[in-house]
This record gives sequence, structure tokens and C-alpha cells, in this order.
Amino acid sequence: MLPREAWFDLSRKLDWSYSYASEREVFPELISGTPWLEHAEWQDWNEPYRTTYGEYVTNQAAKEVAVHAVRAAVGRIEDFQQHDRRWLSALKLHAATLPLAEFAAVIGNLRAARFGRDSAWRTTATLGALDELRHTQIPLLVMHELVRWDPQFDWTHRFYHSENWVAIAARHLMDEMLLLADPIEFALATNFVFETGFTNLQFIGLSTIAHDLGDRMFETMVKSIQTDEARHAQIGPAVLKTIVAHDRAYAQRLVDKWFWRNWQLFSVVTGFSMDYLTPLDQRKVSFKEFMYEWVLDQFARSLAEFGLAKPWYWTQFLASIESYHHAVYASAYSYRATVWFDLALPSAAERAWLRDKYPDTWDAIDPIWERLAQRWSEGGPQLEWYAHGTTPVGFCNLCQLVLCGGSPGPNTAQVIDHDGARYIFCSEPCRRIFEQEPARYASHRDVVKRILAGEAPANMLELLRHFGLTQDMWGKDVDRAVR
Amino acid sequence: MLVPLYGFVAGDTLGVLVLVHDHETIAELAARAQQAATVRVAPRARAYVVVRGARVEPWLSVSAAGLTALDRVDIIGEEA
Repeated sequence: MLPREAWFDLSRKLDWSYSYASEREVFPELISGTPWLEHAEWQDWNEPYRTTYGEYVTNQAAKEVAVHAVRAAVGRIEDFQQHDRRWLSALKLHAATLPLAEFAAVIGNLRAARFGRDSAWRTTATLGALDELRHTQIPLLVMHELVRWDPQFDWTHRFYHSENWVAIAARHLMDEMLLLADPIEFALATNFVFETGFTNLQFIGLSTIAHDLGDRMFETMVKSIQTDEARHAQIGPAVLKTIVAHDRAYAQRLVDKWFWRNWQLFSVVTGFSMDYLTPLDQRKVSFKEFMYEWVLDQFARSLAEFGLAKPWYWTQFLASIESYHHAVYASAYSYRATVWFDLALPSAAERAWLRDKYPDTWDAIDPIWERLAQRWSEGGPQLEWYAHGTTPVGFCNLCQLVLCGGSPGPNTAQVIDHDGARYIFCSEPCRRIFEQEPARYASHRDVVKRILAGEAPANMLELLRHFGLTQDMWGKDVDRAVR
Repeated sequence: MLVPLYGFVAGDTLGVLVLVHDHETIAELAARAQQAATVRVAPRARAYVVVRGARVEPWLSVSAAGLTALDRVDIIGEEA
């Protein structure tokens, strides 16, 4: 048998000249992405893993065996029943937002596997597509077992198919980033910003928390996924290098746009989990500390390596680390029946911990919890609705998340008129992203516009049904709910 | 005519959808927004409304104040 070096490039990097079609016809700019460059500009494309298909299959088979062995040992209902209810809520939140987003990423990778501009890129994207299929299947399999015990776990599959407000926001992001983007934008948005900047590190943090909590199943699943992500995320820097060399302004614009868009959903999913849904005695670091240690330093270093600047909204971003997920969590808690996982009202000890971790902003948030605790005290444990909102709330016309950008404190909401219609945004970055490509976003209806158009009900109980929730599924207070 | 507005009550964490009639007063609008946020923020007996950076007289009607659908209004509680 030939040594690896003798056949390696034939299996991974094989480009050729076209004889009866032009390169522009084989790789149309509309699908392959902007800027369109001759292949000569891409021929040095490389990434550090340099995996062959045979190696991939061998490695992945070993990982699958490990995941299934752990599932057989500690992946039964009885094992999950032993976990803290807060942590189970964090699992439900991640379980819903992860697998079908990964499935959409299969499509994004497959587009790159055909229309990526170098053969090594296409090979790596092919393996990336197989990775993402695996990341769809594992959580669906693991959580499916739990549906018999707790119907909220059904949202692992149900979530992206629903008209739930969180699902609308997640789809608005994922559809654009994973399904619509050309391979260049996909590589910068997904591989560079989302995977290298956020999820690769998020998975390390989450698996550590799961380990400390004794959740071996989630720890193993996330670690196994992370090792795949670490590999195919390398597509991002390899593409970014060429784009920066030819159109630095475009590279900067894409990085700026996608860092903000990813940050918002990330801060909700991970911020909730780290600062509210991890039991207090197991919290090692706050979400803010995690962001500074794992995301900010590394991402800023990555940008500097490519000669790119920090996004123009960096000051606003740093401010939002201090308050955004707290504002969304308090808002979601007061509308907990609109989501598919339970939320916890922070105890006095938790509020003291949060004040210690967020000394500059917590005093603005804490009165909300004081008020909610007072409502519970007045209403009593049987009256979940006395501490629950009944009026529809506003949503950002870009990110589709609730209007929480800076209220309390300086309200960052911004209103504009465009083509005879009015739009509201939670923040200046959301407004500017909209204004850069209004044709892409203007016709999307947020929940409020659906209500006003008669496409969704305004009554809260009817709205819950519209969101796909029934009483056995909708979110409740972890400690106070009557079950 | 009903006018849907985005109401931000000072001290609250999110904007709420407030439906008012165009003939209702700004004071009634403030009360309705505070009621919508009452789970999170205790209503104040006295509150004023800010539109596009300017304080609006409480006796003005919604239409006289120039408010139209999906405008943003801020409701600020006054200390007793």
C-alpha cells in the first residue's frame, strides 16, 4: 500500500482546468460568493487538520462508540431524574436550539462542498456536513428517550418547527446564516465567528459545568461534538485570509454583522444557563467572566491576526455583556409560559452572587426580582399567573428577540421608517444591520406585526397555543409551580 | 381608532405593546403601560410620557400628541 504522503493530495486536494465551461460558469458568483476570484487566488487554501475520508470514518466511529457506551450507562430516564431541575431546564434550552440548527448547517456545508473555491475547502466542508448530521442525530436520540418522562424534552425536535417567539428569533438567524449564505459568507459567519468565536469555546465551558454536576451524558455528548467543531471551524480562518487580502472592508463588514447577530442568541442560551440555571453551588464563573476569558480575548486576538479591527460597536457590546442576558432572563421569567423550559426566580443567595459578579449593573435589575418575589408572596404558590405577564411584548425587527436592549437604564431601542413602514430595533447594531440590507429583512413579520395583521392572537392564552405550547409543556417556576 | 405603541416603563426590562384609542389621553396611555408592566415594576401614582426625547403634556390626546402606530413612548415615574 502506498504511504499516506503519496496519495494524500489526490484524495483531498485535486483541482483541474475546465475545458468546456468557464470557471465563472462552474462557480457562479451568485452561489460561490463575493468577491469572485480566479482559482489561482485560492490554490494555497489549507487548514491544519488535513483529514482524509478514511481517517475521518475511523475517528468518528470511535467517537460514536464512546457516546453510545456512555448513553447505555448513564443516559436513561432514571439518570436524568437525579439532576437538579434548574440544570434540566438548561438541557431543554440547549436541546431545542441545537440539533435542527446543526441540520441547517449540513446544508450550508454541502453548498460549500460544491461551490467552495478550492478542492481542499470542498473536502473539509464535506466532512463538516457529515459532522453536522451527527450533531443533529445525537441530541435527537439522547433526548427522545426523555420525552416519555417529560414532554418539555419534545421541544428538542418541535422547536424549529414552531411559531414560538424564541424559535422565530433562532430561525431568523440560522436560516440566513446556514441556509441562505453563500460559501464565503457561511465560512466567515459560521466557521469563523460562530464556531471559532463562540460555540467551540461554549462547548468546553458547558462540558465542564456538566462534569461538575455529574451529568456524564451531556458532558460526553458536548465534548464529542466539540472535537468535530474544532476541526471544521478551521474552514473559517482559511477563507478569511483570502477575503482579507482582496476585500478587507467586506471581510470586516461580515465579521461585524455576524458577531453581533450570533452574540445575542448566544448570550440568551448560554447566559441563562451559566448565571441562572446552573445550581449556585456549582457555579465556578459568571457568564461575564466566561465571556472575557474565553471569547473576548481569543476573538480579539483572532481579529488582530488578520489585521481586522474590533467591531465598531465594541463599547456597546461590552456594555451588553453586563446587562443584556439579565434583562432577557427577567423578561422571559415574567413570561415563562411562552417558553418550553422552566425558569428559576433567583434566591437571595443567588442575587447576592449576581450582585458580586455584576457590580455595575445588578442594582438596576434587582428591583425587578424584588417585585416578582413580592407578587409571588401576595398571590401564593397556587397562583402562577399573578407573577406572570399578560400583555404582548415588543420584539426587535432584526434579531426578533424581545426589546431588552438597555432598559432599565438608557433605552437603546431605535425606531425608523422605511418604505412607508415602521420598524423598531433593540439596539443600534441591529438597526444598522437592517439598514445595510433592508430588502433582505423588511418583509419579515415579528410577533407584534403578526398580531396586528391577524396572523397571531393577542390574547395570552391563545398566543401560547399559537406558540405550540400546552399546559404540560409551557414553562413554569422551577420551585413554585404546582405540578 | 386603536393605536398600537411600544411602551417602555422606566425600571422595566422590556418594551410592551400598548393599545390605546387615539382619543385617549397621554395620562391614560401612561397608566395602561404601567399596568402592562406591573408584574415587574410597581406602578407610580404620577408618571410622565416622553416621545422622541420630549415630555408630552398628560392632558393631550394620543392623536394630538402626534403618536401614530408603532411609535415608541417612554413612561417615567415621578417621585412622590
